[in-house]
Amino acid sequence: MIPQLNFVSAKSIQSAIKLLTSDKNARLIAGGTDVIPGFQIESKRFNDIKFLIDINSIKELKKIKRFNDRIEIGACTSFSELLFNEIIQSELPLLVKAASTVGSTQIRNRATLGGNFINNAPCADSVPPLLVYNAQVEICSSRGKKQIPLEKFLIEPYKTKLKKNEIVTKIIIPLQKKNIKGDFYKLGRRRAVAISRISLAVLVELENSIIKDIRIASGAVTPIGVRFYELEKLALGKKADSEFLKKLSAELGRTILKVTGLRWSTPYKLPVVQQMFYKLLESVCHE
Amino acid sequence: MSKTVKMKKVKIKFNLNGKDTVLSVNPNRRLIDLLREDLNLTGTKEGCAIGECGACTVIIDGKTANSCLVLAAQINGCKITTIEGIASDGKLHPLQENFMKHGAIQCGFCTPGMVLSAYTLLEEVTNPSEDEIKEAIAGNLCRCTGYKQIIEAVRQSIVKV
Repeated sequence: MIPQLNFVSAKSIQSAIKLLTSDKNARLIAGGTDVIPGFQIESKRFNDIKFLIDINSIKELKKIKRFNDRIEIGACTSFSELLFNEIIQSELPLLVKAASTVGSTQIRNRATLGGNFINNAPCADSVPPLLVYNAQVEICSSRGKKQIPLEKFLIEPYKTKLKKNEIVTKIIIPLQKKNIKGDFYKLGRRRAVAISRISLAVLVELENSIIKDIRIASGAVTPIGVRFYELEKLALGKKADSEFLKKLSAELGRTILKVTGLRWSTPYKLPVVQQMFYKLLESVCHE
Repeated sequence: MSKTVKMKKVKIKFNLNGKDTVLSVNPNRRLIDLLREDLNLTGTKEGCAIGECGACTVIIDGKTANSCLVLAAQINGCKITTIEGIASDGKLHPLQENFMKHGAIQCGFCTPGMVLSAYTLLEEVTNPSEDEIKEAIAGNLCRCTGYKQIIEAVRQSIVKV
């Protein structure tokens, strides 16, 4: 059941902020694909909502723009819009691949990029690609705008740096070097409409088979999406031969195990993570 | 516990199956409830109510959506097509004809959603491949598992160009 509440469609970012400030039980809604099923299952995450502010018709929040050094994506861009956008297709292939695995066509038509990570659910499919792309989040409040890296924005499961009267307006991604290549992997219980159990993203820059830059991030397999800086450091300057990639993949499994501790699913997930990460690395480095 | 909220109705103007419509709705009314209960368009079905089964699929501004995940208040200014809106002049849409002809209807509960997902695909893609058909209906579950017949019915509805 949807609880009793009030609803307003905000016409601008400023008016949305004002409305948010006006009621301590106010919350934003965009695609609604998290909030509305959350109401249905009586999720504790949403049981204080008495007022919904719809930000779906604020055009500014749906723009995708390319600059000399960066791409800016409005927080209310839907996954379908991301999938079919030429800028995203040519510059951010990992984000396209992740977007294509979200829910179903019906979900992708409504669900938004901002809404995907704003609740900091570990299974958010956009997070691993955004982390390896060094995405920044633009936050607006009545005091103005600020930018913080996505990885600093995400604090712990279902908790972010976002304060009550703030709105995430944009995701800002630096343009990537042409010779950096990568891939995204998602494992769910089935192919469509599946919540991620494991998600991984990797970007690698090679020069004569030597790893010049590498960025590794996980999603669902860790409590929240994270980068693996120690592993990245370990890999820098190494030759990307199969032997080393195997070693790196085994190390990723061990690192994840350290973060999560032993779980009932470990005997299954750990080898999958290691094997799939190795496959990702092989295809990125040797194809 | 929480005190009750005095809800203010929201006025919405939208186009429903070609007809301009103006209504006042409760803010906690879902689109599916508006369609089925207030407007008696019961072709749209409610299955899971959490966006997994696709039985409640409708078309909003040319794109499919789960009407169980949309608030009625959110459709102001939109063009909505339900299963009742794709036949014209009393004639069924070729997809509907082909679903019947190829046995793509068993219990029928998933059919309206399946047809609308396929309808949108055929509007957007010329000569879709079998994989594209499968992808387009991946958000619609058929508990009778008649997928083979459904894919065949969609395939037969492609207007070759």
